[in-house]
Amino acid sequence: MNRALRSLAVIGVALVVFGPLGLIFYQSFLSEAFFFPTAHFSFGAYRYVLADSGFHSAFGTSLLVSLGMTLISVPLGSLLAFLLARTDLPGKKWLEPWLLVPIFLSPVVLAFGYVVAVGPVGFFSLWAKALIGRVPWNLYSLFGLVLIAGLTHVPHAFLYVSSALRSLDPAVEEAARVAGAGPWRIAVTVSLPLVLPSILFSASLIFLLGFELFGLPLVLGDPAGLLVLTTYLYKLTNLLGVPSYHLMAVVALSIVALTFPLVYLQRRMLRTAGRFAVIGGKGQAFRPLPLGVLRWPAVFLLVLWLAVTVLVPLVGVALRSLVSSWGEGIKLSEVLTLDHFRELTGYPNLVRGIVNTFLIGGIGGALSVAFYAIVALGSHRWQSRWVSFLDYLVMVPRALPGLIVGLAFLWVFLFFKPIAPLRTTLFSLWIAYTVVWLAYGLRLISASLLQVKPELEEAARVTGAPQGEVFRYVTLPLIRFGLIGSWLLIFMMFVREYSTGVYLLGPGTEVIGSLIVSLWGTGALDLIAALSVIEVALVGVVLFIALRVGVRLDA
Amino acid sequence: MKIKQAIVLTLVFGFVGGQPFQAGAAESSATVSAAQKEGKLVLYSSTDSASVEPLLQDFKSLYPFLQVEYNDLNTTELYNRFVAETAAGSGAADLLWSSAMDLQLQLASKGNALTYASPEIAGLPKWAVWQNQAYGTTFEPVSIAYNKRLLPADAVPQSHADLIRVIKEKPDLFKEKIASFDPEKSGVGFLMMTQDAKVFPQFWDLAKAFGSSGAKLYTSTGAMLEKVGSGEHYLAYNIIGSYVLLRQKKDPSMGLVLPKDYTLVFSRVAFIAKAARNPNAAKLFLDYMLSKRGQTVMSEKSLVYSLRSDVPGNITAAGLTKELGKALKPIDVNTDILAGLEQNKRLEFMKQWQAALKR
Repeated sequence: MNRALRSLAVIGVALVVFGPLGLIFYQSFLSEAFFFPTAHFSFGAYRYVLADSGFHSAFGTSLLVSLGMTLISVPLGSLLAFLLARTDLPGKKWLEPWLLVPIFLSPVVLAFGYVVAVGPVGFFSLWAKALIGRVPWNLYSLFGLVLIAGLTHVPHAFLYVSSALRSLDPAVEEAARVAGAGPWRIAVTVSLPLVLPSILFSASLIFLLGFELFGLPLVLGDPAGLLVLTTYLYKLTNLLGVPSYHLMAVVALSIVALTFPLVYLQRRMLRTAGRFAVIGGKGQAFRPLPLGVLRWPAVFLLVLWLAVTVLVPLVGVALRSLVSSWGEGIKLSEVLTLDHFRELTGYPNLVRGIVNTFLIGGIGGALSVAFYAIVALGSHRWQSRWVSFLDYLVMVPRALPGLIVGLAFLWVFLFFKPIAPLRTTLFSLWIAYTVVWLAYGLRLISASLLQVKPELEEAARVTGAPQGEVFRYVTLPLIRFGLIGSWLLIFMMFVREYSTGVYLLGPGTEVIGSLIVSLWGTGALDLIAALSVIEVALVGVVLFIALRVGVRLDA
Repeated sequence: MKIKQAIVLTLVFGFVGGQPFQAGAAESSATVSAAQKEGKLVLYSSTDSASVEPLLQDFKSLYPFLQVEYNDLNTTELYNRFVAETAAGSGAADLLWSSAMDLQLQLASKGNALTYASPEIAGLPKWAVWQNQAYGTTFEPVSIAYNKRLLPADAVPQSHADLIRVIKEKPDLFKEKIASFDPEKSGVGFLMMTQDAKVFPQFWDLAKAFGSSGAKLYTSTGAMLEKVGSGEHYLAYNIIGSYVLLRQKKDPSMGLVLPKDYTLVFSRVAFIAKAARNPNAAKLFLDYMLSKRGQTVMSEKSLVYSLRSDVPGNITAAGLTKELGKALKPIDVNTDILAGLEQNKRLEFMKQWQAALKR
């Protein structure tokens, strides 16, 4: 059983990752699309891209954006995680759900919300102008892009770090407190260092997500003339008039190449993993750390972050959905309307798109969690080279830009005949989403798995239970809340995901993301805003119910 | 009522005495009955679902036996998907209808299009038909969109030369207030600008004027129109008129200028896939789109400028010709535009563009 599970984990993951990756690798060494009969072996694509000054500057900008956003989101996310998971911060029950909004809102919509709110003629900008005579900020700048990318990725760091923090033995913090350390000192010298693995993992994931950003740089970077790798890909699509897949493949591989040093670094820093094994606890009652005088400054920090990251763009989107026009010289009271919502209800395929989105998020998400659980169980407490192989492997799909992953999955489902019939069903979409969020989902589950003390599994084994039964009757029941929490998070990722599936969607399999793109084409941003408001409301209801029935996002 | 009766009869008997429909009178009964056997039609199109809805409804009312599958894709997606599917031998599209004129002609010229002489050809201008394979379907002026609320009347350009003049005369007014396509990132933008460069000797002066005013470049019409509406920009250059009309319905401050010196005319190109599974259904749709009836729906309901000269109204070729006459410069639907796909010429144009934009 154990052996079967392990081989299944390794082989399964290898297959789904190497399928699309292999095609991209092959494509990069050809002179044109691999399926054209005239394609031949060539290093031309490498020669062109690696010598192109546009590539160099785009790579540099991407690197800067990635580093910047990691440096903003990881410390801030860790700090917020400490505050919410370990302290008596007032009002945290109410604040927590809002933290998740940037996770499920489409980045294009988020960015557009910022444009409407704080762009050159945004609502807030015009107020500022009326007040002090000028707009004191510039949304379209490298700084603006890095700041917004960083702030909107805080939840990613928050989720990993807080789940690790909750399983930390409170005794160590208690000890520090008794010895006279304040909350800040406890956070920085005791709690956070102990969850370093989670912090590092979220840092490398966010760093990769930085290279993959598309919506934010498209909306915020283009007007400033900022070119990042994903928008550079756009340029490559158009460079030769027809999309040049071989050039795009080389760019994608350059990002994949980054995952190796990244995972290596992460593994190296964690080599003495035993140091972090404080996880466990013998059922002590958890007592939140009193923040004391830091209480209100901490609340202020959290509310400030929420205001900038969630409130500002959401207000922008919500306002846009309620006005016929906006900007300079517009009186708000004269343009208010509910027409966009009315118009939206008549839009073809609207209901189907919403239903499909929730299907792929809900049912698809559950199936993905099951798949991630199998892989996680397979590599659970397994000291082997294969595990490090998996560590590298799972990161790769997230390193591929959405534009390319989408194409690669189209090719896989077209040219690999046994699975070709699945292409036009929602199933192909599910596979693509599952693969792309592999690293994210696996880590969520293995974090829960690590909370199960080995003694419990050993006890079952000693009484004669085979490995399969140990998993079934001991491990899985113990992590069931972790699984449900992961399901909710994966649900939100899938609700937002779009570019991965762009070539797999068709009539009948529309999702909210594809409706947004279709509307974007004609510039119906009013309808996009209305649709996004509905999406936020629906996901909000799901979140609210889930949290009410006791689902914990960081279990 | 005749149509309705015909439909009812068609549903019951298949077709009636070889002359099934009044409206699609040009259709041969053989095509219709073959299409009926196919029963299905798969369209790949870059025209958004909402705009196309009236057209599809009317088509379905003519041929209710056809189940129409409409794939709403952007031009690059459409191309990527079609070439990969064709190569894999699982081509699904019967008819491709896209605003990427160059990509469509490239596909047709590489033998992906079915040769079919539509009975509607007689009603179409010569430049709109390429070798009975690729058909221009619309007559859309490439326009200047501007913000009526914020751009003073004396700064609204009436021609291309005018545009250069007002930018030079009012540098402060136009500073960062002009938007246009980025020809490096947008195929449609590239096509229009290369046409500009052909027709308009001062095009590079215009590019320089853009550069000196700090014009912002975009990849989508939607983003540009939204920002012209809000006043982030005052003016957007090279916007397809049909989109401005759609926008005007909602936003009274959106203005539209059709340049008097010359107005490029752009046409969404359709062709039937050679490997189409439902070629007869595709023929019916192509003929419908090109018919007077289809073109009228396009103009009146979808607000897309129609191509046939016998369709009355403002959003039509006839209306535009009355207004602009010889100033209309249609981009011909033929392989000449493929010159723009040639790598060296393309890179050279981009280089020149970059140099002109630099202040």
